[in-house]
Amino acid sequence: MKQDDNNDLLTQDARLAQMPAPVRRRDVLKSVAAGLTLMSVGSPAVFAQPKTIRFLNAEPGRDSVRALRVAAAEYEKKFGVKVVIDTVPPDDAYNKLQSSIAAGAPYDVGTLAFAGHVLLLAQAGKLVPLTKLVKKNTWGPNILFPVNGENYWYPYDYNFCWMYYRKDLYQQKGLKVPTTWDQMAENCKALTEGGKFGVGHPVGGNAATQWMSIGYMWADGVRLLDNNFKLIADNAEMKPKMIAYLDFMKKMSPSMPPGMTQALFGTVLGQYSGGQIAHAPYAGRLIEVLEDKAPDLVAKTGFFMYPDSAGKGSAVNHGYDGWVVLNTPMQDESLKFMEWFIENHYINFLHSAPLHFQPPRMDVYDDIRWRAHPMVEKHADLVAFMKSMLTRKDIAIRSIDTEGPTVDLRPGKMFESFAICDAIQNVLYKGMPSAEAVDLMSAKYRAVLPAA
Amino acid sequence: MLSFRTTSDKLLLVFFIASVAVTLVLILFPALHAIQLSFYQSESFVSARTWIGIGNYLRVLNEPGFWRAFLIGLNFSVLTIVLQVVLGIACALLLDQPFFGRPVIRGLAILPYLLPTVVVAVAFQWLLDGSLGLLTIWAERLGFGRPAWFEHPTMAMLIVVVASVWTWTPFVTISFLAALQTIPKSLHEAARVDGAGPWSRFWHVTIPMLVPMLTVIVLLRSIWMFNKFDIIWLMTKGGPLSATEHLPVLAYRRAFMQYDVGGGAAIATLSFAVLSLLIIVYFYFYPLDGKDGNQ
Repeated sequence: MKQDDNNDLLTQDARLAQMPAPVRRRDVLKSVAAGLTLMSVGSPAVFAQPKTIRFLNAEPGRDSVRALRVAAAEYEKKFGVKVVIDTVPPDDAYNKLQSSIAAGAPYDVGTLAFAGHVLLLAQAGKLVPLTKLVKKNTWGPNILFPVNGENYWYPYDYNFCWMYYRKDLYQQKGLKVPTTWDQMAENCKALTEGGKFGVGHPVGGNAATQWMSIGYMWADGVRLLDNNFKLIADNAEMKPKMIAYLDFMKKMSPSMPPGMTQALFGTVLGQYSGGQIAHAPYAGRLIEVLEDKAPDLVAKTGFFMYPDSAGKGSAVNHGYDGWVVLNTPMQDESLKFMEWFIENHYINFLHSAPLHFQPPRMDVYDDIRWRAHPMVEKHADLVAFMKSMLTRKDIAIRSIDTEGPTVDLRPGKMFESFAICDAIQNVLYKGMPSAEAVDLMSAKYRAVLPAA
Repeated sequence: MLSFRTTSDKLLLVFFIASVAVTLVLILFPALHAIQLSFYQSESFVSARTWIGIGNYLRVLNEPGFWRAFLIGLNFSVLTIVLQVVLGIACALLLDQPFFGRPVIRGLAILPYLLPTVVVAVAFQWLLDGSLGLLTIWAERLGFGRPAWFEHPTMAMLIVVVASVWTWTPFVTISFLAALQTIPKSLHEAARVDGAGPWSRFWHVTIPMLVPMLTVIVLLRSIWMFNKFDIIWLMTKGGPLSATEHLPVLAYRRAFMQYDVGGGAAIATLSFAVLSLLIIVYFYFYPLDGKDGNQ
């Protein structure tokens, strides 16, 4: 061997020494084996982890989330069971719950705001009955939505929609609280001037319109479905009432701010608290917002139910929320948690929106713990008004999604078709005669109702 | 030539397999699942499914709403693409000229494209708010009253088109600007020597050189705009009176809101099929390799 060759070998060795060692298959296999060994050694720690209940909350308000988290922390401290609270906007709750089930990792407890969703999940065998829990208390009307004699959800509030008005402006103009549509339209007209408007009713194709703008129709005795879930909105009795309602909305439209097709729940709150409109449809949330953002308007605000055309009836639009327990391996733990939560934290949770979360349980109204909240105390007249809706027989509590004799998916499908919103828009913006708008609306409803 | 003996070739193979796997998991499987769902009747993603074959397709195709949504989508796509291409070329030609501060202006020109769609939608809604919108107030001051921007079906569609054009024109601009850089200056000089004016040079030199880019841009924008869901949903939810409800919005409503998973999946599948057909026809007439499809 020559010297040069030796040198070459040496330099080659030196180069090889500087190069990173190549990753061999054996190294990879060794690493995998080591990892698996460590995992198996560590597995007892996994089994030792506390049980976890996954709770899907659809009340994103800060105080509501806080109330749930406090309860979850207390439960974990007491019973060693972790409760994870995930929060989503109300509109996303059902789809999130559905997705979690379809993905094979369902939530253990969920929040729903639509009777049809409860029915769907119950019929699919995804929910656990809460009948035993529900039966412990007395409930207000039209809230439990039983399915085959079982209660699959635990309601935590009513969200009725009624009308608020500016008492001070009424006084200035010498107006009286309206008891008929004509009076309502006249009042709104009188209060529309100088960039201010009489009333804010959403008229877009959305849930806000169907919650805030059709109470007048219910007050006038309109029914969309009969007891066999057959559409009767365009029959001899109902069609004239529907036409009258649409004509009334047309009469009201000059008293509304522009852009109401885009208006949602928050829009109306903003319009009223900003002094832009003199009447606003809403639930207890409006007073909570006023207390927070426009306290000077609180004392100037009165309320009344949706009047009818003849001054004989009144109505509120129905709304509600509740919890469901899902059919998961954690269902027993979830039921235990719900029982404990309802016993110990239900009222705390209601206090997170003291006027908006109107108790659906009748016993709560007399519970000194609930009555102790300063807002409930301060607005005793509003609370009495709210409670009266549950006891008076002359008030219609109606909504499209709860039409018909029992909970059913058909009114839910009608709700999601937004056909009544189309009817309102056709009359208001296209100048369509109300009768024609009712026909179109009925055709759209029939298209989503399964054939008999 | 790949031999898969070197480390870099092996690495390339690993990345290729990984990307194909991700594509399969994230795109192909959901797409196939959606197609599968379109053959079933189901009221939710968790309810029992009933096999009904092409029942959903027959039902959907017999609905006037489907065809109306198809035409709305077509109108929306054609309008936005034409405007984006015309404005995109115009902006690209402007930005191709030498002027003071050109780099800054070029940077600013792509800003709308960098904004998330939700920001664009909310910004336009605020500008056009019936009570407090800046443009509404200006219109009132100019004596036009308070325009009901979103109440009128045609106006609502135009607003969505304007918002879309404003957002996505920069992409077209940048693409054409890149294409303009590749045109040899000698071609323009030769044309100038032959007596061609600016307009003639634009039509006979610039545009022919931009055709390959134009072909790709029109194809891409067609696919994107025909499937564009977010901006319409965020701005109008398909309203008023379904005036902006195109196929993606209709499919979403059906599947996620109206308890008709099969119908929604059928609409989405039909939308996919129609788009595929349009692309095949497009490629026939405008092949990417530059050969005429009729030859």
